[in-house]
Amino acid sequence: MTAVPRTASLPSRLTGTLRDNRAAWAFGVLVVTWLAAILFAKGFDSVSSVRYLLQTAAFLGIVGVGQTLVVMMSGIDLSVSGVVALSAVVCAQVASGSGGTAGIVVALVASVVVGLANAAGTTWLRVPPMVMTLATGTIVAGALLVYTNGSPKSAKIGLLGSLANDRVAGIPLAFVLWLGITAVAAWLLHASRVGRYVFALGNGERASRASGVPLARTAFIAYGTCSLLAGVAGLVLLGFTSTSSLTMGNPYQLLSIASVVLGGTSILGGRGHVLGTVAGALMLTLLTALLASWNTSEGVRQIVLGLLIIALLLAYARERRT
Amino acid sequence: MPERLGNVLRGNLDVVGLGALLVVLLAAYRHYDPEVFTGASITILSAQFLPLILAAMGQSTIMLAGGIDLSLGSVLALAMAVFAVRADDGVLIAAVTALAVAAATGAANGVLVAYAGLPPIIVTLAASFLWGGVTLVVLPKPGGSVPSGLVNAYNNGWNGIALPFLVIGVVLLLWKAVRTTRFGLSLYAVGGNEHGAYASGIGVRKVKIGAYALAGVFVGLAGIGLAVQTGSGDATIGAPYTLNSIAASVLAGVSFFGGVGQLRATVLAALLIGLLTNLLLFTGLSPFYQLIMQGAVLIVAITVKTFATRERTD
Repeated sequence: MTAVPRTASLPSRLTGTLRDNRAAWAFGVLVVTWLAAILFAKGFDSVSSVRYLLQTAAFLGIVGVGQTLVVMMSGIDLSVSGVVALSAVVCAQVASGSGGTAGIVVALVASVVVGLANAAGTTWLRVPPMVMTLATGTIVAGALLVYTNGSPKSAKIGLLGSLANDRVAGIPLAFVLWLGITAVAAWLLHASRVGRYVFALGNGERASRASGVPLARTAFIAYGTCSLLAGVAGLVLLGFTSTSSLTMGNPYQLLSIASVVLGGTSILGGRGHVLGTVAGALMLTLLTALLASWNTSEGVRQIVLGLLIIALLLAYARERRT
Repeated sequence: MPERLGNVLRGNLDVVGLGALLVVLLAAYRHYDPEVFTGASITILSAQFLPLILAAMGQSTIMLAGGIDLSLGSVLALAMAVFAVRADDGVLIAAVTALAVAAATGAANGVLVAYAGLPPIIVTLAASFLWGGVTLVVLPKPGGSVPSGLVNAYNNGWNGIALPFLVIGVVLLLWKAVRTTRFGLSLYAVGGNEHGAYASGIGVRKVKIGAYALAGVFVGLAGIGLAVQTGSGDATIGAPYTLNSIAASVLAGVSFFGGVGQLRATVLAALLIGLLTNLLLFTGLSPFYQLIMQGAVLIVAITVKTFATRERTD
């Protein structure tokens, strides 16, 4: 982080952070990708296509914001795919019995519980984050199989439906929600005490603990928030499709991490900005939409997307060799 | 003499501990399935466990060099698909092709890790997408045809010989040979202390690429085994092997930070996980509980490991 004077006005502080950050690059690449999409594919210059892009990017973007918090403290959350499915499936299931509001509350609580378990495992049991979250993700997937007996329900919940599909002054509500969440996360990560702790832990756990950074508390906040946001994304997704499935979260495991890293945040933690993740999520959604507009098989699409992600990582996410 | 025995025991703490656990588990197993120690039973069980055992050996190899492979499941499915699609042209050619493909994907992962300065987690996660796509192109729908004679011989014994058991034994012997070579020693050195290894004149990058490629061979064999066991290919079947291979490696005492571990312990650990899964089915629980158990085993295993080796790491 650069030492920007506290007294500087918000816009100049913002530009200062961006200038010295790879997050700014992410927006540059996003603009280039978008221009390329307009030039080489049809239909990417219309208002409705931009609107659709913003709406669908919100699902990934909300997960990505949470992932940023965890990655910044040099953790990683591979359980987001499970949590996205958990939240949608549980909400649909509970809503069919006792109403939409109860469904939403139970789903979000269940999501946070997974995050707290992740934090407890990584801090108290000292399980490496990758293993812990991989394991909780698997347990969640298994628990969902048991819970739904293999056949999750569909549900039309008014609140979620309008959250996912409605617009305010032409802007998709899902995008507004995403921006709101990003703003809160930006405050949490870049202006609050917890954020300082997160950055400190990302730059060196032993040194931070020695200087009094509360590892457990910070981990609980970061992993808890990450899972909460994955749960929110699951709910919005449920509102968007009106159905839940056990595999609906799967794409978000890789893509959320990719959106963080492509947004200029170091996968090793301690460097980056949450705004970069917004660019990363938009970029990945745009690429996915571009590939979908080609008439190719699912396999080829996956190959191209995988290659593009690796290429983008190589282009500007390489780490200093330690 | 007792002192030497003690030293041997201490050096093989993981193997001895896992062996003891395995004996307990087998005793419990025998309670549900009295015929577990007959030839037919051993053949079927070894055919069932071979993919996980070999996949876990692959994961351990990479972990020994200080890496991790989250694309393992995709590579396994890819090898399975290649073998199932090509099996008509002759089983041997198909097997060689599948192994070559798997080794090449491993080497590609290794090159990205060694030369690009990208952490193994993110490289192999992105690669899992890539190889998953390639698998879907090779085999869009489950299918392919493995000669039924081979499937039968593999699953029911060939002249009374348990082929899968034999394969695991041969692979373990091969690994023993590899370990004594310069490459085998370098693998441990690079995982244990990369800078030290570099300073001692070891080609760190080559060793890493070699480790990923060798793991590709193990995983490729696992994929072929799975294709022969089930008689066909399926692009989506690989996913659970990523987690389970890591779980088996961790259970076996292969360190997450590299340089520590033995592959014979990995074989025992994979066997343990396989038997545990079967036992779960015997107890009449729904197979849906499998995933929960696998995740729990992983967390418990690594927690026990962490606290048992606390003095050494802190």
